[in-house]
Amino acid sequence: MNTTDSTLRQGLSEVTERLVRDYGERAVTSRAVREQHSHGEGLADAGMPDIVVFPQTNDEVASIVGLCNAARIPVIAFGVGTSLEGHVAALYGGVCVDLSRMDRVLEVNDADLDCRVQAGVTREALNAELKGTGLFFPIDPGANATIGGMASTRASGTNAVRYGTMRENVLGLTVVTADGRIVHTGGRARKSAAGYDLTRLFVGAEGTLGIITEVQLRLYGLPEAISAAVCQFADLKDAVDTVIVAMQLGIPVARIELLDDVQMDACVRYSQLEFEAKPTLFFEFHGTEAGVREQAETIESIAAEHGGSRFQWATAQEERSKLWKARHNAYYAALALAPGKQAFATDACVPISRLTECVLETRSDIAATGLVAPIVGHVGDGNFHLVVLFDPAKPGEREKAEGLAARASARAIRMGGTCTGEHGIGIHKLDALVAEHGDAIALMQAVKRALDPNDILNPGKTVPFERAQRRR
Amino acid sequence: MLDPTFASALAAIVPPPALLTAPEDTRPYECDGLTLYREQPAAVVLPDDETQVVAILKLCHAARVPIVARGAGTSLSGGSLPVAEGIVLSLAKFRRIVAIDPIARTAIVEPGVRNLAISEAAAPYGLFYAPDPSSQIACSIGGNVAENAGGVHCLKYGLTVHNVRKVRAVLVTGDIVEFGADALDAPGYDLLALITGSEGLLGVITQITVKLLPKPALAQVALAAFDDVEKAGAAVGNVIAAGIVPGGLEMMDREATRAVEQFVHAGYPLDAAAVLLVEADGTPEEVAAEMAEIRDVLTRSGATEIRVSADEAQRLLYWSGRKAAFPAVGRISPDYYCIDGTIPRAALPGVLRQIATWSREYGLPCANVFHAGDGNLHPLILFDANKPGDRERTVEFGDRILELCIEVGGTITGEHGVGVEKLSGMCTQFAPEALERFLGIKRAIDAHGLLNPGKGVPTLARCAEFGRMHVHRGELPHPELPRF
Repeated sequence: MNTTDSTLRQGLSEVTERLVRDYGERAVTSRAVREQHSHGEGLADAGMPDIVVFPQTNDEVASIVGLCNAARIPVIAFGVGTSLEGHVAALYGGVCVDLSRMDRVLEVNDADLDCRVQAGVTREALNAELKGTGLFFPIDPGANATIGGMASTRASGTNAVRYGTMRENVLGLTVVTADGRIVHTGGRARKSAAGYDLTRLFVGAEGTLGIITEVQLRLYGLPEAISAAVCQFADLKDAVDTVIVAMQLGIPVARIELLDDVQMDACVRYSQLEFEAKPTLFFEFHGTEAGVREQAETIESIAAEHGGSRFQWATAQEERSKLWKARHNAYYAALALAPGKQAFATDACVPISRLTECVLETRSDIAATGLVAPIVGHVGDGNFHLVVLFDPAKPGEREKAEGLAARASARAIRMGGTCTGEHGIGIHKLDALVAEHGDAIALMQAVKRALDPNDILNPGKTVPFERAQRRR
Repeated sequence: MLDPTFASALAAIVPPPALLTAPEDTRPYECDGLTLYREQPAAVVLPDDETQVVAILKLCHAARVPIVARGAGTSLSGGSLPVAEGIVLSLAKFRRIVAIDPIARTAIVEPGVRNLAISEAAAPYGLFYAPDPSSQIACSIGGNVAENAGGVHCLKYGLTVHNVRKVRAVLVTGDIVEFGADALDAPGYDLLALITGSEGLLGVITQITVKLLPKPALAQVALAAFDDVEKAGAAVGNVIAAGIVPGGLEMMDREATRAVEQFVHAGYPLDAAAVLLVEADGTPEEVAAEMAEIRDVLTRSGATEIRVSADEAQRLLYWSGRKAAFPAVGRISPDYYCIDGTIPRAALPGVLRQIATWSREYGLPCANVFHAGDGNLHPLILFDANKPGDRERTVEFGDRILELCIEVGGTITGEHGVGVEKLSGMCTQFAPEALERFLGIKRAIDAHGLLNPGKGVPTLARCAEFGRMHVHRGELPHPELPRF
């Protein structure tokens, strides 16, 4: 151990003592709690925090980060741990800031269609709070993530094709920066041309530029009418082509989801659906009664032209819920395909004109590996996911699975797309980011250095930086 | 004057006539749409391609010569105001529409392409580019990205930042960087959002991929008259609160309506205290349903008259006045000063009332014409620069409006940018913590502050100085002096 390391270690124990003294039972060092805060829903990654603190106010977060900055100790923000790319792993130990107790909806302005929430509010809790106002917050990544976590990973979800991602729906933020200060960005104005767009810079920065403590969000009026439809295809290509034609025509579909035959098979078993194990599209339409009917009829005729069968309607709330629940449980359904195996989900996003090609190539790649890896995706915006199952006990299988995921990233990039449509970079896709962004990496590093010169905020993630290079 | 060695090196990259140094040649570049400020640059360069841009930036970087990039020069905040000891880098020759991909619904264009030219080129595919600043026949897409421009249709379709996929830019060091991606989302930091609206402070844009949208099958506009400005303001809130997102939602008060009517003869109701234009677009069924709802809300909000455009010609006629509001006001007053604040919509009636009160107090007429749906105000203060004291009182009146915008939770600029005009306002809107982040980012990307210096982000020293003077509510004495 060199002197720098021993100084850091000394600083860490001082910070830990101080936090325990100041936060009492809200500062936890037990192994169980630290372990629980070391990973999201993806693969368990090496790296437990040394202490987990549960602040309740902006000032508390600011003081924790200030302490850590003075001692050069890593700080990792934690919501509810639904990340899929290892965002929350404490690669270098340090302090985990669990924001789940900052769970208040601070204000709802119905006339302006916006609200302000603390970062620890989950999206389901927010929508429960909005009940009765006629408003809702549409972004829906499947998991019941916190708004702070969704902002940090620039989450999107099944209805991004209609409502956009967190990028379009965060109006302003309160952020604790690396020096322990509180910065307000954006605001309630619908548009602003004042200063650099710090709001969008922090959105998607995965906790590496600041810790988001409050979020101003855009809300939407609940649509007058909602209907859902399901259509099955003999062939994956026909299903994808249907989506492309629908998008070209500009039909404002609220959600389009593609499930391949493997995924559909898993969902039929897991959620007891009365459908066949064939490539399937799920649609949802939002709008006026007339608008919804018109959209659905147009889609039905496009699907029919592509050999789609069994165009089924679901207008009743329960029916729709059942369908979407099945879609949301796709990840768990996939896991249930092979009990005892491990799985990770990876996502890719390509321009819609390359979607068919990308999905089909990925499909034959999966077949060549002999692995089970269902495809499911928000194909309306060119985004799809693979859930790769592998047997950790079988030598070489994890490597094979990782190879498949790496090739999926490379393929998407080759087709003008991106290695991640919505899960973020975290630690698993750092190499892919370098492949994709090249020159922009240096700029990202410059921004990181400007806002977090000591590299204390979620070090080793998103943008490869000094600490990571030092230890490599 | 340029250093002779530098001048000859510059001439080697961009030989005359692409290099202008004679005062009579650089004169046309001395100001942009904000004519209150003027400065002649040491030289103007008009490169043909990106290679030349890279070489120019490398040369300027080595010699520490400031660079101001310029598109069509329509900025309303002085975004392309030259620096005396620096050069203006005009992108006027970057006029190519490189490609249109109707399936991906994107267009790759060079920065000097006019905003409207993109929609014209996309029209054969049934597509259009949504953000439509009123100056769209003249303004360039590069400038739109640099300023994060808005427009009438941004309420429904978003600002420039929502409609750009990818931007290619040259940094001050000469490095070429691509921001964003062809796909929906780009991983890592959202540098695309960072460069969009950065007012030429972070890089020189050389290529842009914009999103195109399918042209709606039908668009109809309702023109509603109100006998009271506050009622019209409340109607705007009611439309939005009813869950309607119109294609456009614009407002003009009596002063603006009268000026416009004399100019375009669209048949606007001259006795109305305020006029709202509300557009519905989509399929015929959707438009019919939405228009019925809009009519209903407007009637309930107290509209005295509602006309709905019967055909496309009439729709364009109704819009013509709104789009021509600035030149129309220019005809009835020797000078006018356009303010660009944005507020939460619910604050509209109160803010409009306060502006009317101040207008009487200052004895300066004020025409209100604006993107009401976004809460983006454009009060036009009418004055006569030749009348002693008018200009000073106009600026003071404008500053008070912007301070009010901040007070109610808004911003000092919705779409025109900070430029040189609103540097002091930035000190009021942002706390030092945020300003320090802005400056830190600028330093990280342009360490010597060579790109568009003196714009966009105030130094903390300037804010401290402004804060002291702010107490006296006066205009900065000698605003032409650099205060760094």
